[in-house]
Amino acid sequence: MATTTDAAAVMATTPRPLKGAWLWSLVFPALSVGVALGAWEIAARVYDIPLWLVPKPSDFLARLVTDFRLIAGHAWVTSTTLALGFLLGVLFAVPLAFAIVSVRTLERGLFPVIVFLNIMPKTVVGPIFIIWFGISPLVSVFIVFLMCFFPVLVDSLSGFKAVDPRLYHITRSMGASELQTLRYVRIPGSMRYIFAGMKIGIVKAVEGVIIAEFIASSAGLGFMIMRASSFMDLTLMFAGLIATALMALVFNGLLLGSERLLMPWVRQP
Amino acid sequence: MSGGTGASIQGRGITKIFGKGEDAHHALGPIDLDIKPGEFVSLIGPSGCGKSTTMLLVAGLEKASAGVIEIDGTPLTAPLSEVGIVFQDHLLLEFRNAIRNVMLQQEIRRLDKKIMRARADLLFAKLGLTGTENRYPWQLSGGMRQRVSIARALVHEPTMLLMDEPFGALDAISRTQIRHDLEMLWLETRKTVLFITHSIEEAVGLSDRVLVMSNSPGRIVDDIRIDLPRPRPAHLGDYPDFAQYAQRVYGTFEKLGVYRFK
Repeated sequence: MATTTDAAAVMATTPRPLKGAWLWSLVFPALSVGVALGAWEIAARVYDIPLWLVPKPSDFLARLVTDFRLIAGHAWVTSTTLALGFLLGVLFAVPLAFAIVSVRTLERGLFPVIVFLNIMPKTVVGPIFIIWFGISPLVSVFIVFLMCFFPVLVDSLSGFKAVDPRLYHITRSMGASELQTLRYVRIPGSMRYIFAGMKIGIVKAVEGVIIAEFIASSAGLGFMIMRASSFMDLTLMFAGLIATALMALVFNGLLLGSERLLMPWVRQP
Repeated sequence: MSGGTGASIQGRGITKIFGKGEDAHHALGPIDLDIKPGEFVSLIGPSGCGKSTTMLLVAGLEKASAGVIEIDGTPLTAPLSEVGIVFQDHLLLEFRNAIRNVMLQQEIRRLDKKIMRARADLLFAKLGLTGTENRYPWQLSGGMRQRVSIARALVHEPTMLLMDEPFGALDAISRTQIRHDLEMLWLETRKTVLFITHSIEEAVGLSDRVLVMSNSPGRIVDDIRIDLPRPRPAHLGDYPDFAQYAQRVYGTFEKLGVYRFK
């Protein structure tokens, strides 16, 4: 009796994806961006705004094509810096979070340091690192590392703490070893939290990498924008801005894609 | 599901005190338990009377401050393995679908996959879960999640089933159905069941024996044998004796001051 009502409830709550929904999710943003740029283009042409100060969309979008090799080259440098710093951040933050949760004294001892480092603006270490390492991609990698390290650490901490202690009663009655509990319960259970941290981390990392390249690099989109600024090449600066946004979009997409791939159980909105 | 029969539970002077010195809280006991193999026994009592503690002590997941617990005549020293546990919350792993939640028993205990899968399928059929194997917990209703949780507790054919308010979070209609389904499963397998509940109807409706507990420290104040034919109906009021059993529990609660009606 209740079994059939249960089944009905399940049918009602299981979402049925709209056909071609993903297509609309591309069309609408493209449309709104197109309208905004179109309005800008018309305003620039009608109101005679000095183009050396505020370039037209058609000008800086054209630079993306004419200077493709230059921009793509710098975007590649920025992307590798970003990926390296981000991966290092995750690789350090997740095991550290686990260690902190496992060893209480570690939590007491390390927490003040972590809080201090977290509230400190990460870019201030840039000038110090320039003295230590010179103008090198290492400085940017390190700043990106710092930028995404903390959000991943904080969310991983809550992930490892999120397991209901009564679940351990059940695994202990199964005779699970520490390693089995880790493998079957704790790590997969905390993945949702780790991904939440990574999603915040990647946004901060994009910001971090550009600022780092402003102050301490000889390649990358940040460097390219800074150099274009010294030549008053505003169209290239805007093209760089667009390229940075596109790069951020790609990284976000990769992260969301791997989330769906690795965690098929997560309820899709 | 025709496997091993139930285990016996013998306890003498079981006591639990949490904390030390002035902060010490005498939560339970001393209580004695004498549960026969295959018996269905309920513990009923007000919140905080030590019902859940008793269950964890019997499972070997908590250490008693004093007293001895013997399972099948063997003193308990480590967490019991031949046991299935169901809590009020389903505690299913959100990242595993229904069948893989049940098969966690197979993976952790390193049992034969084929045999365990066959048992899981059988349990799914008996619990009305067939067709939900590949659903994740969030895709199941509360009642079905709890059914999966029961399947997880039984798939390795334990000798004992420990249930801590397993239907507490369900609506009344689902509760009546799942109560019956549990009774049918139990009639078939005759595991020893220790069933903790707040519901007099559930306790009388399911049990061979109802142990009534008092508050702080938790003690067993009444031991009621329920002589009603099985399987018992959805509407327990059909049995004239049901009212008497229920009356006896209410009466004990009133005497204990659990209820203060004016």
